[in-house]
Amino acid sequence: MVRLIAAVVRKDLTLTLLRGNGLVQALLLGLLLFFVFSLSQGVGERASPQSAATVFWLSSTFCQVLIFSQIYALEEITNARFGLLLVPAPIQAVWLGKAIAGFCLLLLAQLVFLPAAIVFLGQTVSGALLPALLALLLVDTGMCALGSLIGALAQGQGTRESLMSIVFFPLLVPLLLAGIGVCSQTLGTESPDDADIWLRLACAFDAVFFGAGLLLFGFLYSGDD
Amino acid sequence: MLKNPVLACILLVAGCFAFACCQWLVYVYAPLEATMGIAQKIFYIHLPLAWWALVSFFVVFLGSICYLLKRSPGFDRLCAAAAELGVLLSGLALVTGALWARKSWGIWWTWDPRLTTTLIMWFVYSGYLVLHGLEMPRQRKTVVCAVLGVVAFLDVPLVFISARIWRSVHPAVFAAGGGGLEPEMKLTVIACVFAFGVFWAGLLLLRMAQLELCARVQALRQGE
Amino acid sequence: MLELENIAKLYGDKVILRNIRCSFFAGSISLLLGKNGAGKSTLLRIMAGLSRPSAGEARYTDSAARSRGIGYLGHATFLYSGLTALENLRFWSDAWGSNRCDDDLLSVLERVGIMPYAHELAGVFSRGMAQRLNLARVLMLNPVMLLLDEPFTGLDEVSRTVLHKEVRAARARGACVVLISHDAVVDAPLADRILLLADRGLAFDGAPSAYAARACMEDAPWCA
Repeated sequence: MVRLIAAVVRKDLTLTLLRGNGLVQALLLGLLLFFVFSLSQGVGERASPQSAATVFWLSSTFCQVLIFSQIYALEEITNARFGLLLVPAPIQAVWLGKAIAGFCLLLLAQLVFLPAAIVFLGQTVSGALLPALLALLLVDTGMCALGSLIGALAQGQGTRESLMSIVFFPLLVPLLLAGIGVCSQTLGTESPDDADIWLRLACAFDAVFFGAGLLLFGFLYSGDD
Repeated sequence: MLKNPVLACILLVAGCFAFACCQWLVYVYAPLEATMGIAQKIFYIHLPLAWWALVSFFVVFLGSICYLLKRSPGFDRLCAAAAELGVLLSGLALVTGALWARKSWGIWWTWDPRLTTTLIMWFVYSGYLVLHGLEMPRQRKTVVCAVLGVVAFLDVPLVFISARIWRSVHPAVFAAGGGGLEPEMKLTVIACVFAFGVFWAGLLLLRMAQLELCARVQALRQGE
Repeated sequence: MLELENIAKLYGDKVILRNIRCSFFAGSISLLLGKNGAGKSTLLRIMAGLSRPSAGEARYTDSAARSRGIGYLGHATFLYSGLTALENLRFWSDAWGSNRCDDDLLSVLERVGIMPYAHELAGVFSRGMAQRLNLARVLMLNPVMLLLDEPFTGLDEVSRTVLHKEVRAARARGACVVLISHDAVVDAPLADRILLLADRGLAFDGAPSAYAARACMEDAPWCA
């Protein structure tokens, strides 16, 4: 199972980063969002930390939809899905492998989005960094666990991206709130609460959707058309 | 199978009648609320709507699990009917909730955890219905919908909790509605919820019977 | 190795297969014949576990088949166009959990005659070359169950000979091979057993010699 996971991760990253047009589309969309949102501020104004955090997570979510739609589409062209189904290992390995690959790609994209938030939306990092980093990892984990499931769900559909968005966005609300809550604190919002409670919520989300992914993926990723 | 529409019709008529009787309770029996006046009567329709919307979503959840385990198309129809009903009822609950909020708190919308949860659920299950209406192989579609039905309901408590935390971060000036209800009001609300439940069950069964008929017609047409 | 028990398959209300009952054994080559649309590919997919039978069961009596995987070569090539031939093989061998070094993989490519193109992207391969690479993918895994769905499509005479040789080698190794072919004349000498699908069921199951005799009696075109 571990071998299958590793093979899927390596293959997806190779195909996305080295052979395809990679993250370009997802990155451009995210950056455009930052730029367009910066129009909402008057000249010389600076966006509130919460707005900046919101745009950051919005970009990440769009990016995520594109990433998972892309890496699940890899199996569609020559029906390699059936090949993966025949591998004598639990099929959940494919879910996990794709989730990990998506996680790496998302982190890469966010490396670009962070400076964009600082440049376009005039932010400064003034709060504690550790909770923000933790929140980033936890939220990304949940997004990928769910994204990998939704990617399999939308697979084979002509309107993949829009379908994924309408299903993915509302489900992701708790996680987005957590991400925005913690990140806006780091960017300087005064808040009576600790980041703790949000981190705990993110953990709960991760746990629930990891379980759901493991249990439900087998139904989605099957041979029957 | 023929029993279904008959039972559905009986339930529908009974539900309508019971709910009509409840109007007497609402407007005559229950006392007028001191601060909100007549607008408070919205509450008696809002609560049953919200309640049965949530029950519909729970039915989708249970039906989806059963479908995944048993693969019987009946469960898929149950889920589809319940999801349609849930979206309709939660939509109406949102409208009545907004009216209530306007009258009670002076604004149309607030980060009330219950209101927010209802809205998010409305979004999720609307997506579910979009998925259900898509052109794809039937087998695949029912499995995909069933998985979404399970995942969507798992999200409910998380959405509720997160909305509650969010509210504490952005302190709302408004206290959550409800609170101490007078006994007459309580009785009226319970009667309304119950009467609406009968109506709901009738609607669900009727819709299921319709969907079953639809499937048969399609099968016959394909057989030609 | 594999037992089919009363397999039936329906698409909607259309019966594709019904009452298929037979067993497949290790160290044998079975040739599956039938007209277009007779359900050969469907049956093979059911045997591979890629399709769920509407009724009945495909049961592997040999646990090795499940633990070592099933080699399946269908119309789709399962190749990633963005990976080179060698990378494709490496991915599938890694996914299968079989530890193979590059030299091993190259020798497999040599066997099917596309060694010179090992470092070219599979996306630029012609149909025949992709089919050979696909063949290499299946062969390198040394599966105990080998299901081939019209493997000769797009192959020239040389490749066909290679494939015949490899299929015989697989049988010698103790594998169970099931082969779908359109060309009974060319491929019948390869088989130990012939199965004919007609009228949604199994119309013939026996040795090639018996099949030839029967076919002659019925004045079938392949006896000419």
